[in-house]
Amino acid sequence: MTLEHQLADLHPLLLRFARAQLRHDSLAEDVVSETLLALLEKPEGFEGRSSLRTYATGILKFKIIDVLRARGREVPLEPLDEQSMDEALDALFQADGHWKDPPAAWQEPDRALEQAQFFETLQACVDRLPPRLGRIFLMREWLEMETAAICAELDITPNHCGVMLYRARMSLRECLDLNWFGETR
Amino acid sequence: MNERSGALLRLKCQEVSRLLSSGQDETLPPADRARLRLHLVMCRACRTVSDQFDFIRRAMRQLDHERPPEGTPL
Repeated sequence: MTLEHQLADLHPLLLRFARAQLRHDSLAEDVVSETLLALLEKPEGFEGRSSLRTYATGILKFKIIDVLRARGREVPLEPLDEQSMDEALDALFQADGHWKDPPAAWQEPDRALEQAQFFETLQACVDRLPPRLGRIFLMREWLEMETAAICAELDITPNHCGVMLYRARMSLRECLDLNWFGETR
Repeated sequence: MNERSGALLRLKCQEVSRLLSSGQDETLPPADRARLRLHLVMCRACRTVSDQFDFIRRAMRQLDHERPPEGTPL
């Protein structure tokens, strides 16, 4: 398969990642185009080192970080729409702080990591997060940025950052529990 | 440690879930770490959530890895 064909296959995936992170269609298309261009111009960069997909995603991540940095504080974060999520989180606990319905262990989670379908579910759960939470969560867990850098990018306090990551993790936990692991119980 | 009452050290599950998340992002202060460890020893549900947070991190780091299409024998 030619490089062009391989890149054409990768294109939808790269676009989906970029859209999820940037929440902006034309910016997402821009960073994906730049990534593809970089690969077409310097195909020797990845040869023998890693798979094209891993290499392309690596480049894309850097492009996304550049965009996030450049737009930094210019683009206001979306208004808070997380109140209902807060209520849902509170509803998991009794008034005395104990679990209402104690979480059950997931069966053979490592097997899920071998299944493409699991990652589709994971992606769907991430996509379902409120936009701000989704963006911060992806900065932390996908772009693997340090929280101090995320706080600085978004101009929020470390505490606020921590609260948002907490909400995102709890929500994802719940989503995977319902949509993937619950079915295997 | 001077406190003799376990109650002073005891965390609620809701606080623990928040600390578990913080622990994914930063090194917790020693006092929090100690209280968290104590709670995890005693609480299966929170141990489960701790494992699940770790799993979510591992899964996210593999989100863009290549994997065989469905139906391919492992």
